[in-house]
Amino acid sequence: MSSTLADLSIATFAIHEVVEGTRTGRNGATLVVDVPQLAVGARSDALAEVTVEVVRPDDPVRIANVLDAALPDVRADDPDGTFPGVLDHGRDEWLPPGPIHRLEGTVVLSVCDWGAAGFSEAAELPDAYLDMAGPGADRNPWAGDTAIVVRCVPAPGVPVADADAAVRRASLFAGRALASATIGDSPDRLDVWRHPSTVEVGSDLPAIAAVLQIASEGPLVDTFRLGRAMGTFAPTVVDPREPLTGAIVNGAYDWPAVRNVTAVYQGSALLRALLAGHGERFRMAGLVLAPGYLDGADEKQRAASRTAELLAELGADAAVCTTFSSGNSHTDTMLTIRACEQRGIAAVGLLAETNGGLTDHVPEADCLVSTGNEDELVDAWTPERVIGTDGDARVGEPVPTWAYVGACVETGDARLTAVPA
Amino acid sequence: MCITALPTIAQMVGANRILRGVAITNPTGDPSRSVDDERAFRRRIVERAVEMLATDVEPRTVWELQP
Amino acid sequence: MTNARGPVVHYLNQFFAGLGGEEAAGHEPVRIDGPVGPGRALAAAGLAPDVTLACGDDRFGEHEEDSLATLLGWLDELRPAVLVCGPAFGSGRYGYACGVLAREAGRRGTPVVTAMTPDSPGVIAAEGAAYVVPTGSNVAAMKDVVPVVARLALTLAAGDQPGPPDEEGYLPRARRTNVLVERTGAERAIELVLAKLRGDVRTEIAPPAELVHPAPAVADPRTVTVALVTESGCVPVGNPDGLPTRRAATWLRYPIDGVASLDPAAYTSVHAGFDTSNAEADPNRLVPLDAARALERDGAIGRLHGEFYTTSGVDTPVASAVAIGREIAAALVEAKVGAVILTGT
Repeated sequence: MSSTLADLSIATFAIHEVVEGTRTGRNGATLVVDVPQLAVGARSDALAEVTVEVVRPDDPVRIANVLDAALPDVRADDPDGTFPGVLDHGRDEWLPPGPIHRLEGTVVLSVCDWGAAGFSEAAELPDAYLDMAGPGADRNPWAGDTAIVVRCVPAPGVPVADADAAVRRASLFAGRALASATIGDSPDRLDVWRHPSTVEVGSDLPAIAAVLQIASEGPLVDTFRLGRAMGTFAPTVVDPREPLTGAIVNGAYDWPAVRNVTAVYQGSALLRALLAGHGERFRMAGLVLAPGYLDGADEKQRAASRTAELLAELGADAAVCTTFSSGNSHTDTMLTIRACEQRGIAAVGLLAETNGGLTDHVPEADCLVSTGNEDELVDAWTPERVIGTDGDARVGEPVPTWAYVGACVETGDARLTAVPA
Repeated sequence: MCITALPTIAQMVGANRILRGVAITNPTGDPSRSVDDERAFRRRIVERAVEMLATDVEPRTVWELQP
Repeated sequence: MTNARGPVVHYLNQFFAGLGGEEAAGHEPVRIDGPVGPGRALAAAGLAPDVTLACGDDRFGEHEEDSLATLLGWLDELRPAVLVCGPAFGSGRYGYACGVLAREAGRRGTPVVTAMTPDSPGVIAAEGAAYVVPTGSNVAAMKDVVPVVARLALTLAAGDQPGPPDEEGYLPRARRTNVLVERTGAERAIELVLAKLRGDVRTEIAPPAELVHPAPAVADPRTVTVALVTESGCVPVGNPDGLPTRRAATWLRYPIDGVASLDPAAYTSVHAGFDTSNAEADPNRLVPLDAARALERDGAIGRLHGEFYTTSGVDTPVASAVAIGREIAAALVEAKVGAVILTGT
């Protein structure tokens, strides 16, 4: 079998407890973390300071200035190749890697107060929180996991893109280091993801494709594929297992609740459900990466049409269309839905709501999943500690849902939805 | 497109091309100007309205008289 | 005496605050100690305003950002236990100001009660943030409305939740609230699209009534026929066909072929919702016919359609406005009009 279609194994190791110790390692369901060593390993010249902290479920802690959340991963046969392009020099093409070892029950969070570090680009970035307890905990997709918080302070004078790359390396380095504790061990669960074309299934089953909308607009609002900023790309068919392998990494820090953090690519509920269900009630037709936030109606329309054309080539009868963040990306989603329907491809879209309703709509968008109301206020809470800022963190004030990272992510990974009050 | 001095209401009810008018009592006029000046001003308003009609916009877009 | 956890604040427009009538519609925001006007009725009903804020309706509408900044600055200082806005009854501009202020105060966690006609733009503007007591258009209903508003506000000021809408006398709030469910959005999306393939179309977000994707741009304005439409109540002098001055469910059309400008001796406005004196002096200030003609003459547009369409957009039920819009649009499509300039007041 061609190596491009080789099976992908993801071995999951359940972690129920994280303790600090003198050597990072794994003891059954307990992860031991040498915190100081992790911090040292995460350092680089572009960062003045890196600290690592373990924060546990139900700790009365608010984490502020959260940038990204990632699942600890290591490519067991090729650790250097983990998070390609970020932790190594990168590569041009994606191929199914060897077995990936992934920790379940922990998440790595990168934290950086860009504003305090003096970056003007950060002035527009909204507050981004995760609460480990209190009324905001149900807005935290990782509230039940132990958070390994990698807090970075950029070195003075470093360009923002370099500092951001260093923050990303620091947190993903930590993720790899933690997952490396499992090398040589037997997993609690082994998932083998086969490329759908290598699995014989009934041809009468309806074919469903996924459209993953991604945007990449510059430093602090980028998405990286194999380590390179995606920028404005043309709709592209990719192996549906690629995002599961750490090949797509988040570098976009605008609206927190609808932020596609790295963890939602690694753990994509949509791709896993489609791959796992292939051959049961449907066939998985494939995955198209589609650009969001294109400038101008013409560009948006061309991309939507091209996406629908690719879906038709994949033989899709139906498409699940995700959205990247809020604002005019909702127009990209609507136009994509319309282009699909015009080709006879049934489309469903995933969108977050606001109190003011939707941003855009087309009549063909008659089938929409709500990923929650971003405007809903969460009751005021006073945590015992705030990590990630010395400034205001809305302590003791109601917090709008949009400020909680991942709460309403429009990839379908979260469980929040909005219903009539 | 619509010309109104209350563009946020127009946005609320779903208008997509909105040009902010001069005032509630005179969306396409300005009594504080001289007659000739006002006529030229109104011409610019309508030119801007036509420009908006000929431009692709995102939903609920508001333009000011001066670009 | 209120059992309030903070001051009671009351928002009024220029008229109810005693600052003047239409001529004071441009009044800047002001802050007054104690109850004013209808605030005294609220006090008699057990809810005495500690502070009254007021702003001219036109001032709010035309300078929304600045007016809001001032008013919200005061609210941030006062930290009210409850904010009451209005009652605005049938006044669209006043209702709108009440709704916007309610929405913004709501974002800061302040409970708000307001009162207006169910069709007021303020209901939409509030985005479900306020408890809206429905009223008729007429101010005479004040004595019936005040006790309902006071009771709701007292409950909220004490930190309690009001009972259901029909019991407490407010409109059901168009709010969407978050719940955690068993299945991820992805799993639900797959279920919905499989159902759609079977012809069973279901959605978690209903198609929004007011949201229409923008029409594509006019390719070449020099060839397009443009029609002038207005809700300013502009009609020939004498209102020969009896356009209603308010609550219009009808529209009219008048020929303008060969008419270069709207002569004040020939045209007027019968709109009851704004001061028409500027428009009386020059109706082109409502329907820019003279300028449109000039553009037609110079070839900037293809043609000005031979009629203008008019209605009075005051106290108009939403259903009427939608029907009027659809009917006018149908007439324009039939006449092969390519673009519309709609003027609103």
